[in-house]
Amino acid sequence: MIDELLAQFLVEGREQTLEAGVELAALHRGARDPARLERCFRAVHTLKGSADLLGFRPMGQVLHVAEDLLGALRNGEDGAARFPALVETIDQVDRWLDALEVGGALPADAETVAARLIVHLGGDGETQTPRALASDWDGAGLFTGRSGVAIRYTPRADSYFSGDDPLAVIAAVPELADLRVSLAEPVNDHVLYDPFRCNLVIEALSTADLSRVEAALRLVRDQVALATIAPSVPTDAEPARRTVRVDAERIDHLAELADQLVVAKGGLAELADQVERLVGGQALGLALRARRLELDRLVEALHTTVGQARMTPLAPLFGRFPRLVRETAAALGKPVSLEIAGGEVEVDKAVVDGLFEPLLHVLRNAADHGVESAEARSAAGKPAEATIRLSARTEGDQVVLEVADDGAGVDPARVRARAEARGLIAVDAVMSDADIVDLIFRPGFSTRDTVSAVSGRGVGMDAVRAGVTRLGGQVEVESRAGAGTTVRMTLPIRAVLAKLMVVACGAERFGLPLESVVEVARVESASLIPIRAGHAFVLRDQVVPLIELGQAVGGASSPDASGPRRVVVAWADGELVGFAVDAVLSRTDAVVRPMTGLLAGAQGVVGSTLDADGAVLLVLDLAELLA
Amino acid sequence: MNIIRDGDVIALQGHCRVEDAEPLAALLHESPGATLDVSACESLHSAVVQAILAFGVPIVGQPAEPFLASLLIPALARSATAGRPKV
Repeated sequence: MIDELLAQFLVEGREQTLEAGVELAALHRGARDPARLERCFRAVHTLKGSADLLGFRPMGQVLHVAEDLLGALRNGEDGAARFPALVETIDQVDRWLDALEVGGALPADAETVAARLIVHLGGDGETQTPRALASDWDGAGLFTGRSGVAIRYTPRADSYFSGDDPLAVIAAVPELADLRVSLAEPVNDHVLYDPFRCNLVIEALSTADLSRVEAALRLVRDQVALATIAPSVPTDAEPARRTVRVDAERIDHLAELADQLVVAKGGLAELADQVERLVGGQALGLALRARRLELDRLVEALHTTVGQARMTPLAPLFGRFPRLVRETAAALGKPVSLEIAGGEVEVDKAVVDGLFEPLLHVLRNAADHGVESAEARSAAGKPAEATIRLSARTEGDQVVLEVADDGAGVDPARVRARAEARGLIAVDAVMSDADIVDLIFRPGFSTRDTVSAVSGRGVGMDAVRAGVTRLGGQVEVESRAGAGTTVRMTLPIRAVLAKLMVVACGAERFGLPLESVVEVARVESASLIPIRAGHAFVLRDQVVPLIELGQAVGGASSPDASGPRRVVVAWADGELVGFAVDAVLSRTDAVVRPMTGLLAGAQGVVGSTLDADGAVLLVLDLAELLA
Repeated sequence: MNIIRDGDVIALQGHCRVEDAEPLAALLHESPGATLDVSACESLHSAVVQAILAFGVPIVGQPAEPFLASLLIPALARSATAGRPKV
């Protein structure tokens, strides 16, 4: 039970620290938005409750103090000076979550750290929390989503003897909106029950002004706690989503089944063809074809829906970086502020999972190598605090992630010198600045002579490129001298259902992306024009080069030079190119998976898929094949 | 007499005062399966409410008095549900 609660806390706790962190950062920057404060308060309140429930006392204690402070701020107190302490508290909670994730327990120094933070949060004592709010009760949990004055009245045990009727006192409070009555202590022994010893806790909500509530309760003021509950935050901006947490493995399994369904469905087309060829089978074949079209539509819809279920926003991933960047910046002694945008962009879960390492490395790199020291920045007339901006946006079916710093940019001359020293390029190689800067992604490259403790952990930018490539993406760097560096990653948002043409070359079969195919032509061998080592043919007054597909993919095909040739005419790098094949077999929809492992770097191959027979089909990138 | 017992139903009538808490507690102790009818009730003293909570007796009836009808009886119903052992 506790394990399940802990697992849930580790997921939800991250979300709450993220939310609190984001809102605090905005508030710290000067946003005066009660809705932000409210969201922050709620996140901290929930975190505190969970920490208490799971028995993580130091965590609960710190959050408790933070919650009181936020409550006071919510009531209009000026506490801008305390924001750094609050940010530090949330960072610490995040660190504790790390520890809980690894070992299931808070680190040994948690008590000490908590005590220090509590002092820090306590501030200079200039501001005082109103008395009623200083209690450990805020009423928020009880009357969630309501607004007004929350009352908790715990009458003295001798109230009945002294002639009080606590409920009558509460009944006299103006504008009562809600009431809760419970026993202060459970009654276990009915025989010994004392009907005249008051054992009640009365909680109520009034929509009247605080002063009127206080007036009604003035005779029992010492037994009452009051809290003003802020008006509930309008949720128009973020409509409450009905969500269910599902184990990612189940979604993956579902996705796999949907993929297989696409494959199984593919077999039907061929069957329909066969049936139609049978004597008298035409009507049945047509009927089968019509059914197949409907199945196509449903499978496509299923596939899309499952794909969407795997989509997850980038915000939780992004939320892990502010603290890590703060820590990096502190270790380097550089003031750095991290701006985050586009956390709402949703991408496939596999992409989100695979992005943490590459992004962390790029962010650390930006803080370490990209950003100059505060002195150098001042000398260059820049603000001492550097800005690193992490952003995401969608472009068609791709997501573009950028890490942009406002540092000095990458110096091509230094990169070149280093690359030459490392033997990565020839000394007299003619290269554009962009190509030179791109060398930072080469294995074994490091622009610093001394390996820094922050980003130089034996991992270079080559690991970033490898990580992004594994996800089917690309990474590039753009540098503006003196103005900063931008590392841009472009990745597919999801695994797409690609339309393929299946062709045969000898015994091999390949998938060609249908979108690049213009037409399938029949070319007589006699009309082939020899051009240098190859051939070309004329297609509607245009000379089109002819490539033997079998040879282009490294097969030892020796085309029968006599008969007519089947030629797939396709766009490759903006030019029409004919690919000679032995046969065009079928058209199919398939999920193309990027190549992994040793084949990941295979030239001219986009990925692989399973064809209708369940055999592996390589999907070719025609442009790359010609390169 | 504000407390009337009829079989398994105990009815509270008129103004139930602090002195009614003791006999009600005794009655509830004697009749564990009882139900409390509050439809003719005009007010409930805290001590009586406390006895109702302590013995976890289910409540029926809708009193006419506004505070009872709109706040106190719903609050007792909620507490009774919360306090009953989970099935």
